[in-house]
Amino acid sequence: MKYTTFNQQSINPLVEPMFFGNPVNVARYDQQKHAIFEKLIEKQISFFWRPEEVDVTRDRVDFQKLTDPEKHIFISNLKYQTLLDSVQGRSPNIAFLPIVSLPELETWVETWSFFETIHSRSYTHILRNLFSDPSDIFEDIVVNDEIKRRASDISKYYDDLIFATQLWQTQGEGVHTVDGEVHTINMYELKKKLFLCMNSVNALEAIRFYVSFACTFAFAERKLMEGNSKIIRLIARDENLHLSSTQHILNLWARGKDDPDMAQIAEECQEEAKAIFMNAVDQEKQWADYLFQNGSMIGLNKDILCQYIEYIANQRMSAIGFDMPFDVTSNPLPWMNNYLNSDNVQVAPQESEISSYLVGQIDSAVSEDDFADFEL
Amino acid sequence: MSKTEDAFRIDVVDVGCVNSRPDKTLLESLEADNIPVHAHCREGFCGACRTKLLDGEVNYTTDPLAFIDDDEILPCCCVPLSALKIKVPL
Repeated sequence: MKYTTFNQQSINPLVEPMFFGNPVNVARYDQQKHAIFEKLIEKQISFFWRPEEVDVTRDRVDFQKLTDPEKHIFISNLKYQTLLDSVQGRSPNIAFLPIVSLPELETWVETWSFFETIHSRSYTHILRNLFSDPSDIFEDIVVNDEIKRRASDISKYYDDLIFATQLWQTQGEGVHTVDGEVHTINMYELKKKLFLCMNSVNALEAIRFYVSFACTFAFAERKLMEGNSKIIRLIARDENLHLSSTQHILNLWARGKDDPDMAQIAEECQEEAKAIFMNAVDQEKQWADYLFQNGSMIGLNKDILCQYIEYIANQRMSAIGFDMPFDVTSNPLPWMNNYLNSDNVQVAPQESEISSYLVGQIDSAVSEDDFADFEL
Repeated sequence: MSKTEDAFRIDVVDVGCVNSRPDKTLLESLEADNIPVHAHCREGFCGACRTKLLDGEVNYTTDPLAFIDDDEILPCCCVPLSALKIKVPL
């Protein structure tokens, strides 16, 4: 089906599936088929922040004090996160927007991706502060084998879905030969690619960031690189919200609350989906190995980091209906929680410590009791 | 954001019984009695504190944004409305 930027047919978005229904026409948010995406948009917008708000100048002094293995850990993590957010800043838009059918979900995808671009901008902010010329760091991202291996695994499912969608939207269903390769395009195959892609994105948001988060916060526990840690806290909060959205999408499908085809695919591809997750867990463990190859840092080593990945993976997998595959029940890095909570109490808007506040919020709810002690 | 004034008995399966505290979320009440519950955001969007509600009723002080099943609650953003029986993942 050809994509149109404004579908002139009258459609009822309340009965459309999330994906592969009619293209969205009117961007209206007064009604939603799945209200959760509207709530996520509002929450995400209330989290708005700019990297420049966080002062990272002290980090330059701290960085000079780090040992060489610690510098390797710090910089490698920033490179990996730069890669992840480079992918996430564009891919949900390119992969999901051409096939989305609900206005609230369409805007959620755009909002989500936009925040990933803020994350990318903050890595530049951090690196520009540490080095007079951060080019070497950025250029290494596409050369470094350890990072490249992860990049291909992350982008594989996206690229697959994007290519199949392009074929479907230009050629329609059928068997198409492109550059000598034969591609079978039908709705079942498209939806299956979408399902696998969503699982890969879910695994990315669920665990791929957490090894680097743990390292960043371990530095902060030692009062080092605290500007960087403040920024990563804001990023972690956003990623949590993104994760919630992919968990909702997967669960809506699996529970038959959206597209019945997707419920069937979710059942058929359960093992494949689980393998995507387990593969991401293994890659994160290998990443921990690479980080600590030159030596560890105080408060953190490879083993404890791998345990933390398993602990997080247990939680994340049970959230999408899988059994917990690992035998880790208690949090091996309890101090992580201090960095992952959001400061939800706004005392005064000028307080820089408060990271989530809504501008111009007025409580207009007035009950009759409010005037109970009022006398003329 | 009305929080209940009454204290209710909370039966945590395999752990023990505690009383909820007025002006505290269920999570804070549990933590005040040293019952370990996983928690990250404390604002209802990360889902780390997902807990099974076996019996009783709760009221959300913040709209929960994380995915929860029909028989699950997010203790970080709710208060009990009655005596509760819950099972926290250990």
